[in-house]
Amino acid sequence: MTPLLALRDVSLGYGGPPVLEHVSFDVERGTFCALLGPNGAGKTTLFRGMLGLIPVRAGRIDYGFDRRATPPGYVPQKETLDPIFPLTAYEVVLMGAAAHSPPLWPVGRRPRRVAAECLERVRLGEAAEQPFWALSGGQKQRVLIARALAVQPQLLLLDEPTAGVDPGAEAAIIDVIAALNRDAGLTVVIVSHHLRLVREVVQSVIWVDGGVVRVGPTAEMLAAERLEDLFGAAARRRV
Amino acid sequence: MSTLAEMLGADFLLRNALLGSVVVGLVCPLVGVYFVLRRMIFLGVALPQLSAAGVAFAFLVTSLAGVHQHGAASERALALVGSLGFAFIGLLVLAALERHGRETLEARIGITYAFAAAASILFVSVDPYGEAEMTHLLRGDIVTKTTANLRLLTAVLGSVAAALVALRKEFLLVSFDRDMAIVLGKRAALWDTLLYLLIGVTISFGVMTAGPLVTFGFLVAPPLTARLLTRHMLAFSLVAAGLGGATAFTGFYLAYRFDLPLGATDVTLSCALLLTIASGQQALRLVRGPRHPRRP
Repeated sequence: MTPLLALRDVSLGYGGPPVLEHVSFDVERGTFCALLGPNGAGKTTLFRGMLGLIPVRAGRIDYGFDRRATPPGYVPQKETLDPIFPLTAYEVVLMGAAAHSPPLWPVGRRPRRVAAECLERVRLGEAAEQPFWALSGGQKQRVLIARALAVQPQLLLLDEPTAGVDPGAEAAIIDVIAALNRDAGLTVVIVSHHLRLVREVVQSVIWVDGGVVRVGPTAEMLAAERLEDLFGAAARRRV
Repeated sequence: MSTLAEMLGADFLLRNALLGSVVVGLVCPLVGVYFVLRRMIFLGVALPQLSAAGVAFAFLVTSLAGVHQHGAASERALALVGSLGFAFIGLLVLAALERHGRETLEARIGITYAFAAAASILFVSVDPYGEAEMTHLLRGDIVTKTTANLRLLTAVLGSVAAALVALRKEFLLVSFDRDMAIVLGKRAALWDTLLYLLIGVTISFGVMTAGPLVTFGFLVAPPLTARLLTRHMLAFSLVAAGLGGATAFTGFYLAYRFDLPLGATDVTLSCALLLTIASGQQALRLVRGPRHPRRP
């Protein structure tokens, strides 16, 4: 079966020397995958490359779907969005639902219904009219997941969705994402620092370190012995 | 009351000036909304000043070439070309530096303002014959506005307002989350350029109509006031425009009734309204207690 995302000998960077070179791996349909690695290893570069936010300097990225018709669902870190915007939770989600409306075209009834449904799916239907800036960190992150779902994607990419939220909200966010993968068959790639949390739910791991990218099943990639080699004894306690 | 009735009469002598003032008051805040949301308020000072420098530069070049006579009918068109040219070039340079420059946005805007203010003075001082006329234009020639000028102003700024309303979901998306816009296949750079184009046109016509000070005042004060009163994006834009239009009308009334300078009256009134509403909200928050979170 064609993978949903295939990187073939890809090089990525920002103008100077490439941050990552000769990266090749597949993301299979329906998998829940974690993108892990130490700070500064190139996780964000790889993530932005997969989203098409930075140009591929060599090699190619093949998408197993029509990117124009069904763009990937993108969930940024909540801190990247300025709270100065006077938007309700519903209006933020509507941005995703209206992605297919052409310019000059008013947002129709269908995108409005989709936006409301997506808020319900992340269990925030009652917060629709709340100002986005006034929501808790966990709620904001769930609103952003709803916005990504409103695009009706085949691939969902999340950038550290549990960063800066309390433990209860972390679990709620991971539950929502896991349910989307399990029940709706959505392919998910999640960037995270939270080894213990993702270990319980992901099927495979993309490990980025020192410019090298390795991909494998969770049990192998997050084996306690391997993490101890990489991070020392403290890592064993974290997982 | 009789002053108000006189102002609303069909044969009011300064009718064109009144209508021009209200049009600028309505449309500048629609553009200013994006200045506030993109946190580039000081661009609202720098760009009108740059636009004014463009007016002075256009006069200087044609005066030195010996083809320009102050007071001629083409003077306004010439001023408009200079104003638009400088505003667009400034916007394009600032937009390019936003992606590739190393300095902070504040530094770039500060340098732009310093350059524009200094250049305006130098251009005017080098042109020995036109200082009075240019000073008049740079202050905004709203009182001497003709019916043809008013029609042009209404048509252009009306088109800007229509474009801002019609394309608001695209402008909002690239302003709120540029990465998301790119992931969705939107041409973010194109939408940014179009927004800057609309900003440039509004500022140029605002400066030509009411001068840099009033243009800056209407770009910033009504949106900041509206932000305190609204929770939705559309309401934010509409309330900002409404406040700008109402302030322009009331400012004109006060200036006419008490023989005050119009521009300074408009700006003072806008700022007084902002301070009153902000103080009122602060007082309410103190009375209600800390249950209500403070807006960012």
